[in-house]
Formats: sequence, C-alpha cells, structure tokens
Amino acid sequence: MKKVITICLFEIKRTFKKKSAYVIMLGMPLLFTFLFGTLFGSDAEVSFQIALVDEEQTAVSQHIVQRLMLDEMISYNIVSGHEAKEALANHEVQGIVMLEKGIAEKLRNGEPAVRFQHPPGMSTAPLVKQQVNQVLYSIDVYATAATVGSGYLNEDWETVYGKLSKNEGQIQVWTEQRTSGSAGNPMMGVSYSSAGFSIMFVMMMMLTMTGALIEARQAGIWSRLFTTPVTRYQVLFGYFLSFFIVGWIQFFLLIVLSTVLFGVNWGSPGGLLLLITTLLLCVVGLGMAIASLVKTAEQQNAIGTLVIISTCMLGGVYWPISLVPDIMQKIANFVPQTWAMEAFTTLIAESGNVGDILLPIAVLFGFAIVFLSVGLSRMKYA
Amino acid sequence: MLTLSNVKKSFDSREIIKGVSLQIERGESFGLLGPNGAGKSTLISMICGLIPYGAGEIRIDGKVVGKQLKEIKQIIGVVPQDIALYPSMSAMDNLLFWGKMYGLSGKAAKIRAQEVLEIVGLADRAKGRIETFSGGMKRRINIGAALMHRPQLLIMDEPTVGIDPQSRNHILETVKSLNEQGMTVIYTSHYMEEVEYLCKRIAIIDEGKLIASGTKKDLSNRLAGGTVLKLTVDSLHPLFIEELKTLNSVEKVIVKPGEEIDVHLHSKMEMVAEVILLASRSGIHIHNMQLQEANLETLFLQLTGRTLRE
Ligand SMILES: Nc1ncnc2c1ncn2[C@@H]1O[C@H](COP(=O)(O)OP(=O)(O)O)[C@@H](O)[C@H]1O
Ligand SMILES: [Mg+2]
Repeated sequence: MKKVITICLFEIKRTFKKKSAYVIMLGMPLLFTFLFGTLFGSDAEVSFQIALVDEEQTAVSQHIVQRLMLDEMISYNIVSGHEAKEALANHEVQGIVMLEKGIAEKLRNGEPAVRFQHPPGMSTAPLVKQQVNQVLYSIDVYATAATVGSGYLNEDWETVYGKLSKNEGQIQVWTEQRTSGSAGNPMMGVSYSSAGFSIMFVMMMMLTMTGALIEARQAGIWSRLFTTPVTRYQVLFGYFLSFFIVGWIQFFLLIVLSTVLFGVNWGSPGGLLLLITTLLLCVVGLGMAIASLVKTAEQQNAIGTLVIISTCMLGGVYWPISLVPDIMQKIANFVPQTWAMEAFTTLIAESGNVGDILLPIAVLFGFAIVFLSVGLSRMKYA
Repeated sequence: MLTLSNVKKSFDSREIIKGVSLQIERGESFGLLGPNGAGKSTLISMICGLIPYGAGEIRIDGKVVGKQLKEIKQIIGVVPQDIALYPSMSAMDNLLFWGKMYGLSGKAAKIRAQEVLEIVGLADRAKGRIETFSGGMKRRINIGAALMHRPQLLIMDEPTVGIDPQSRNHILETVKSLNEQGMTVIYTSHYMEEVEYLCKRIAIIDEGKLIASGTKKDLSNRLAGGTVLKLTVDSLHPLFIEELKTLNSVEKVIVKPGEEIDVHLHSKMEMVAEVILLASRSGIHIHNMQLQEANLETLFLQLTGRTLRE
C-alpha cells in the first residue's frame, strides 16, 4: 500500500507541475461555460434595473405593478417618486416607470396613463416600453370587462375590476410554473454548460494523465518499475488512484468556481458526491481502457480526443439532448455522458436528491465496470 | 552470484538467445561485449525477470529467477539501456521515487539520495529537472536510481551510449570504485575499451550465442594470429612469401595490392626480428613496417569476420 500511495502522490505531483494542466483543468471549462452559457441565454438573470413609482395605489395600479414585476428580464424596484429621481441621477436604475394618479380613469378614456422617463440613448428603452404597453394592453381587457361587468352586476367599477384581477392572480401562478418548470429545456444557460463542460474537461484531463502514463511506459519507466519489487497491481492501483483524486480535485474546483463566478446552484451535496464519484470511476475506466488498447501517446491522444468529443456531442454535453432527433436520442443511451447529464439536470434544475438519480447512477456504474475491466485486464506493460 | 545454464529465448519463433551458459562470482565485474542486436538487452531482461526465458535456468544468489522474483529484485539494481526517468521531475524527486519503489522509507530515501548524488557527482544539481540535463548527466542519474537500495548485483545495459567523454570517464570510474567496494557488476557494452578497462572477465556475444568468454588473459591467448605485422616492400618475391609461411611464429600471410603484406603472428615482438632477418637474407627491402596489436576487437573480427561496430 505504501508503494501504491508513493506512485499515486508522485503522479499527482507530476500532473500539477505542468502549467498546461491548469488550462485544461480549469481555464478551458470555465471559458467554454461562459461562452456557451451566454449563447444559450442566461438563467443567472442579467437584468435591467428600473424604478417603479405607483402614485395611485388602487386595484388597477397594483395590478399593473404585479404584472410588470413578473418579467424576468427587467427588474423593477418599487420606490417613491423622490427616491426614483435620486436613483436615476445616481445611475442605480436605468429609467423610471411612473403610474400617475387617476390611472384607471385615463385608461378608461384611452389616454396615456403611464409615464416612462429615461436618459437619452438608453438602449433598453424600447424593451421597457414594449413591456409596459403589453401589460397595459392586457389590463385594458380587464378594464373593459369591468365596465361591462359593473353595468350587469350593478357594482362599483373598482370592485368588479378587483374581483377580475384576483382571478387572474391564480392564473398567473400557473404561468409562472410553466415558464420555469420542465416544459421544453429544463436547464439552460450557465448551469447546463457548467455541468456539461465540467464533464468534458474532466475527461480531457484524464486524457492528459493517461497520456503521461503512456509516455512513461514508452520511455521504459514501466519496464524499470518491474525490475524493482513492485507488482503490476500496485502500479495500476497507484495510477488509478491518482486519476481519481485529480478528477475529484478538478470537479470540486469547477463546482466552487462556477458557483462563485456564474451563480450556478449545483443542488444536493449528497447527490453530487455520489454522482461525481460514479462518473469519475467511469471516466478513469475509459482512460485506462484507451491506454490499454493503444501503443503510443500519439495514438492515445488522437483516439481519445475523437472518442471524447463525439460522445460528448451525442451525450448532450454541448446542447440539451431534447433538441436532437429521436434516433440520436436512442443512440445517446449508449453514451455515459447522457446519463451523467440527466443526473446533473435532476440535481440542478429539479432540486433532486440521491434517490432521484439512482437509475443514471446504476447505468454509469455499469459503464465503469466495463471500462475498468477492459483497462485492467488488457493493459500493456512494456 | 549469478548462474545461467543453457538459457534460450525466441520471439515469434525466431530464436534470439541460442543457449547461453555463464557463471558470475560474487564481487566480480563481468563484461558482456557484443554488437547491436546481439541479444544483450534480451539476456538482461531475462536475468532481471522482465521477460520469461524460454528454456534453461537462471539463478541469482541461489534463487531461481521467475520463482523467487521478489527476493531477487531486492538485491539487484538494474540500469536500463534507455533513460528511464521522469523528465519533468527533479533529480532528487526521481531518486526518491526509485528509492521508495525499492522499499526505502521516506527518511532513508532522502539520506541515501544525497549519498547517491555524491557518488554520481551531481550533488549540486539535486533540484534540477532531468529534462534540463545533458545526456551524460541523465545517464548518471539513471545509474544513481539503481544504487538507491545498495544492490548486491548491479546490472548495467550500455550505460554510456551517446554521451561526452568526460561523463563517460566519470561513469567508468564510478562503476570501478563501486566494484572495488564489493558490488558485483555486470556491464554490457559494444565498446570494447570500456569492457577491457572495467572487467576482469568478459564474454563476447554475437547473434544470441557466447562466442568466447574468460579472463582478459584467456581471451588474448585465444588470439591466434591476432597480432598483425603490416609490411610494405619493394618487390613481392614469391620465394620470400613461401619462406615467411614456414616460420614458426607465423599464422598466415596475406598479400595485398601495392606491395603490401599482412603477416599474422602467433605472439608478438620476439617474432618480428625473425621476419626482418628473413627479408634482408632474401634481398627484400622493407619500406614501411607497422605492428598492429591484438585486442577484443580483433578477436571479434577473427571469430565472426565482422567488426563490433558496423
Ligand atoms: N520483444 C521483441 N520481439 C521481437 N524481437 C525482439 C524483441 N526484443 C528484441 N528482439 C530482437 O532480438 C534481437 C536482440 O535484441 P537486443 O537484445 O536488444 O540486442 P542488443 O541489446 O544486444 O543490441 C534483435 O534482433 C531484436 O530485433
Ligand atoms: Mg541493447
């Protein structure tokens, strides 16, 4: 065991000595996460700050406020008229939306009821205008309904409007669930890219490390090892352990950095522990299997890169697998990344727990056993 | 210390080692001389248990290689033909690693690594990375790694290939002093000067067979006609040639174009006078005369018809 640990620590030290290791380990995955994450749209809410002033404070105006607040792109801060002006002057907000007194009256008469104040050249102004108009348009429907309703029910316009808009509140809860729920792409943006590129570059890192193994073997270091009182199992286990530990270090750092930099929430720690451990067994196994089948470091690099890139594509590492044709989705079942991404999605987007990812874990474990047995049984020693 | 009895080895049904027997005593320095491809490395791989031997038996310290490998590996130190070190790591790191592989504790390895660096003369480069070293320095650390556990038997496979003369001399001195301190040494080379300098006993291997072995003296006695007297004369008189051949000390006479005669002699100096005497009696004028003494190179040439390095 002492020799296993010596070999393991030596390999880890050797890995961290290379500067290029850090690029593959951390630099590339974070860069790709950033690029792809923003390409797919963000779930970390890059929002525009707008001050919202409600001078009227009636059912109608509050309804408008409520509707405006639903928007994910623009974030409204409800403030007094005075505070709003100050915030704009201090550049804390990009504009002011003012719901003026007598808004219900004006709406009924078809007069402009909302004032939008913004500095010249504000790039998001059209976006805000459009949103406000949209809200007013739908409010208008309620306003008309309230006018008609108050005639029938012989009740106050305000009261009818209040009833109608309360109803809508329930509907809105439903819409809210839809937009952030599991319809379409469950996990987009930075979270998805973080998980995907962590997997990909953990695999790339494994390729670098098994490359170092093959170079050592080619240089005659393995032959020399076997002239010392060291067994094959000690050597293999030492390497295996070093791969596994470096993989964990990499995953750990990527999780910490993506949380800090991109605000990714990785979900249940227990689930992550289980998932990453199993995934790493699988990845280390794949690395060893490739190393056992090739002779030279060049072969290993070429074959390894091809295998990793293509299976990552198939396995939905770059884009959600729901975007590809059915046949591709079927093929994807034979790729470990598919299952890893499924488990990550469960943990990250659906707040899943250990119990929710047992199926993908079992499949990954199966892959790990196959890869490891190929790697360990067919390993070339000289 | 080491016994090989009729050891054979084939790769892909091609016999590479064709029945080698030899015995090396404790404390000896033994040279294995042979051209590239003779089978030296293959033989060494079998001795240290890297590849199984096809037939025969190899024993080290009474233990059979292949059966009691663990005990054997503990007492042998192998210096491979290739530089088997981690290039991106320092000399010290490499030595510590190999020391620990031989079972040294961390502390013992540190102390020994310092000693080994002194032995190979690189104590001031302990922290230098191997990839920044010259060929000769790499070779010296390559040897150092095999000394970490103070082996009883040091097996070296062409440890001086491709290095500068100073490093080469340093290595030869080092090995010689290790042997004088009691370490048994097997030294493989295709440089006959190295083997002649270092080793008391020598075996010459060619195409998987030992074609000669013994002490340096044994071998030079086998050099029948190894000494060559090269003559350039004014005329090639047939009678003179015939009379040369009848001389006791002459093994054979080869006549070459340009009035040149190679006279192969059994032994040297005393016999040269006889040749000169004969020449003057025959009225032959000697323009030029050159005595080429025998060495292992000539022995190899004589035994195989080829030179060691071709
Ligand atoms: N693993 C192997 N498979 C096939 N042939 C080999 C193998 N190893 C060595 N040989 C052959 O055996 C012969 C002797 O090689 P080697 O022992 O390396 O010679 P030397 O060390 O004396 O230069 C060479 O012809 C070489 O091609
Ligand atoms: Mg060789």
